[in-house]
Amino acid sequence: MRAAALGSGAVVVLGWPWAAPRYFVFLASLIAINAIVAIGLNLLTGYTNQLSFGHAGFLAIGAYAAAILTIRAPLVPLPVTLLAAGLVTAAVGLALGVPCLRLEGLYLAMATLAFGFVVVEAILNLDWLTRGNDGLRVPAARIGPWALTTDTSRYYVVVTVAALLILAARNITRTRTGRALLAVRESEIAAQASGVHLAAYKTLAFVVSAFYTGVAGGLFALVVGFLSPDSFDVFLSVDFVAMIIVGGLGSILGSVMGAAVITTLNDSLAGFQSYRPLVFGAILIVSMLFMPGGIASALHKIQPRQGDRA
Amino acid sequence: MGEGAPLTTAALAHVVVSGLATGSIYALMALSLVIIYNATRTLNFAQGEMLMISTFVGWTALQLLRAPLLVALLVAVGAAALLAWVLERTIIRHAISATHFDVLIITLGLSLMLRSAAGLLWTHDEFPFPSFFGSRPLGVGAARVAPASLGIIGASLALMLALGALFRWTRLGRAMRAVAQNQRAARLMGISVERVYSASWILAAAVGAVAGVLIAPVVFLSSQMGLVAINGFTAAVLGGFGSMPGAVVGGMVLGVLENLAPLYLPASIKHSVPFLVMITILIVRPGGLFGRVATRKV
Repeated sequence: MRAAALGSGAVVVLGWPWAAPRYFVFLASLIAINAIVAIGLNLLTGYTNQLSFGHAGFLAIGAYAAAILTIRAPLVPLPVTLLAAGLVTAAVGLALGVPCLRLEGLYLAMATLAFGFVVVEAILNLDWLTRGNDGLRVPAARIGPWALTTDTSRYYVVVTVAALLILAARNITRTRTGRALLAVRESEIAAQASGVHLAAYKTLAFVVSAFYTGVAGGLFALVVGFLSPDSFDVFLSVDFVAMIIVGGLGSILGSVMGAAVITTLNDSLAGFQSYRPLVFGAILIVSMLFMPGGIASALHKIQPRQGDRA
Repeated sequence: MGEGAPLTTAALAHVVVSGLATGSIYALMALSLVIIYNATRTLNFAQGEMLMISTFVGWTALQLLRAPLLVALLVAVGAAALLAWVLERTIIRHAISATHFDVLIITLGLSLMLRSAAGLLWTHDEFPFPSFFGSRPLGVGAARVAPASLGIIGASLALMLALGALFRWTRLGRAMRAVAQNQRAARLMGISVERVYSASWILAAAVGAVAGVLIAPVVFLSSQMGLVAINGFTAAVLGGFGSMPGAVVGGMVLGVLENLAPLYLPASIKHSVPFLVMITILIVRPGGLFGRVATRKV
């Protein structure tokens, strides 16, 4: 049953560019990128209960790091660029995460919200590096001799990275580390009493979350090809929160599904900009009131399976 | 001084007074956040949007009925109270037993919906809003200050005193303070905690509506004006979240800081000041300027 589901899923994902129109290949890449962010955010929020409204800021840092590296050093291969984007963002995550250890709940939410605003202001002010409001055009990235100029080639890169990061997240969550993170979510004091190093694990969650989002930012630069500060406003952070709420807190499969739902919805509402926040707000309220575990737990209710956490 | 000519005392006084005026608005915003927080232990993310909607309703009364400004103020306060009551009874009450996380997300959803609804009803344009106060600068000693600044400060202080009296001397105020201290004990004493929830939402929204009508002439009326709530939050944190006198002082400090900062720092940093203040205070002194670190009970 599971093997069949996984197999058909893989066939759909790999065959997608050959069946779907070009625009939908681009959209699928965006879904995969958002899924990476959602997983990163879920590792932070769903696993250690630290709510962040600043992930658009992390995404921006990753995207700008990758873009600037591609422009300044065109010979650097793409995997290195993505890794660098992830590491730069993780470093920022560490710098923000350590002082934020003292904060919890809504204080952390507000601090990260402020962080998101500060990142956008910083991009605007560092215009010698980021070209400020004019935006930054990202040249096509290269892997060895190949330049990634088609939507399909970029789609495969994004999907490969996403698959690797999903596997990594499953490994993190199913091991000792994942159990420690879950213990932190359930009760910080009980976790601490059981020998979980609270500060270390909370910081770890922050850094890993930032790393995921930074890599996603690198992919965003690659796929979208143009960066400007207004693509990373606070509403993008809200979208990410909506993804994990709709998908299910503490679930990796849920993060992917939430990303798919919200990204598709965002795209189909593109022609109705003024109704978009109305719909999103309603979705947030309805999910919180009537579907607190998100799509992931709704699926569990339909088909209970043992030992399936992801 | 960082750059430019030295500032005269008169000019400095002007900057400080207008800082205190914006600060009073932040203080009112902070107070409305704190009122709800104390009763329900949750943050209302939609506070700014409720302010915006009620100010728009007041403005509509001005336009349609050619009503005097005072009537518009009353209409705005009434609309705010009604909106808060309906939202609290229909949506928030169902989630109140849940974690603060859930309510935070729900009010976030509300803020998106309210802003969007305002855009659909009144467009996303900016509208001028009449002021209670004249525009001719008043001379106070050598300094010249805008009457709007003094008016805003005066009106806000009056409202704060009224709130203080309400919390100190009325039955409702005592009930609200009791619920803030210990909800279970308050319930055992026969206080209807649910009524306190409703009352807090209504009171907070009413305070917000007054703040909206006071600030709209200065920043223009628009669907974006709800963002002032973020500064209100920073103000409340500055003063120690949950403390009402703290919220007032925090608002004033933030307003003055925000107006002074561009004189000493690069001008482009002005927009980041509230956020930098918020991050700094949260990291350095999460309990607020004069706060104590709260101990957690298991």
